[in-house]
Amino acid sequence: MKNRTVTIIDYGMGNIGSLFNAFNYLGVKVRISSKPNVIEKSHIAILPGVGSFHKAMKIIKKNSIDNAIKNIIQKGDYLFCICLGMQLLASKSFEEKPTKGLGIISNKVKKFTLKETKNKIPHVGFNQVFFDKGNKLFKGLQSGTDFYFVHSYRMLPENMSKNISKTDYGIKFLSSFVKDNIYATQFHPEKSQSNGIKLLDNFLNIT
Amino acid sequence: MIRKRLIFTLLFQNDCFFLSRNFRLQKIGNYEWLKKNYDFSMITDSVDEIILLNVSREGAEIDNFCKIIKTFTKECFIPISAGGKISSINVAKKYIRSGADKLVINSNLFNKVLLKKIANTFGEQCIIASLDYHNLEDNFLFYRNNGSKKINLNVKEIFEILSNLPIGEIILNSIDMDGTSNGFDFSILKKIPRSFQKPVIYAGGAGNYKHLVEAFRKKEIDSISTANLLNFVGDGLQEARKQIIRNKIKLARWN
Repeated sequence: MKNRTVTIIDYGMGNIGSLFNAFNYLGVKVRISSKPNVIEKSHIAILPGVGSFHKAMKIIKKNSIDNAIKNIIQKGDYLFCICLGMQLLASKSFEEKPTKGLGIISNKVKKFTLKETKNKIPHVGFNQVFFDKGNKLFKGLQSGTDFYFVHSYRMLPENMSKNISKTDYGIKFLSSFVKDNIYATQFHPEKSQSNGIKLLDNFLNIT
Repeated sequence: MIRKRLIFTLLFQNDCFFLSRNFRLQKIGNYEWLKKNYDFSMITDSVDEIILLNVSREGAEIDNFCKIIKTFTKECFIPISAGGKISSINVAKKYIRSGADKLVINSNLFNKVLLKKIANTFGEQCIIASLDYHNLEDNFLFYRNNGSKKINLNVKEIFEILSNLPIGEIILNSIDMDGTSNGFDFSILKKIPRSFQKPVIYAGGAGNYKHLVEAFRKKEIDSISTANLLNFVGDGLQEARKQIIRNKIKLARWN
């Protein structure tokens, strides 16, 4: 519902401004917070991020944001994770050095290799996102819609088959998933023009 | 599969946008001029990315430039890169905080300490290495500081260094073709070593959609940038995009 407030979790990494603007554009109230007590009370929280997994986890733990995020999920409120935000949900990443993630999803995060993709790394630009009918995050969008990606790592798709999307970059990888009250995209909806705005609007309509 | 990208580059100095021809700047108009001649919703309808460059030559004008970044990110929901005058991690942070997604680095490209700092904070996918060059009969000379300082490295040495820098993409800009509208000079593409596996943005010379189509057909080129404010005024960019797609170049489609 549109009269709700979206809380963007600010842990000092990545471009929060464009997310703020995108939600603002969609007519909801937006606040940016780094305070765990504010974050955990949110009905709708966004975990953004670009950059280093290792550094992100360090800051998140130091500021007790990890517990705040887990509380949101436990309460049944809504969490939307973007790019590095999606990866942080994982159990472990191998960026820089092996680092434990939030462990909310048991999968691991790995770097693309030239051998598996036969493509340049990072994967940067618009690419098609394929999903099954009925995936409510993509309501009103056609499978194969373009979204903007910029990343070298991705979450491995183990044990994920329902409400996911895949994207082909030489190998098919997990480009989004919906699991209970957790929504996650490897791509940046806030950077994907009208396609992304539609997806964010879908998310707001679910909450 | 991954789409090719059309990028619009805007040069900013003293509250105005500039046209560059062979790296000599010509004032075109202020923000109001830009809004009048390029509907922002139309820009984001027609290009896949925007690069904003701070080309102020006296003084750094960081704060003024940040205001421009903020204005763009309010209305354009596509990736926005910012470059120019990134001499410290603080400037990098200011640009990112203002809404930039990526940083274009030219003059300080070989400052390894700075690049590492930026990459450690924002990730290496955040850094676009910018190389400006002259082509003297297939002998390539590279420059920094708005084309004013020569870099004493040949093309082979440059790419060797680039391979070891924490960067996400490179942008190659021909000083000779810059702003001429005469089409691209593709000769440097042959010099990119096969082992170099970063996305390449190509710039310098686009005058019409045919030039863009020709460049998009090159397998070495992932993206094309045009900075010519006058070639695509009005619905020029939109028309160019239509023609590019009509020529079977795979660009992103909007809902």
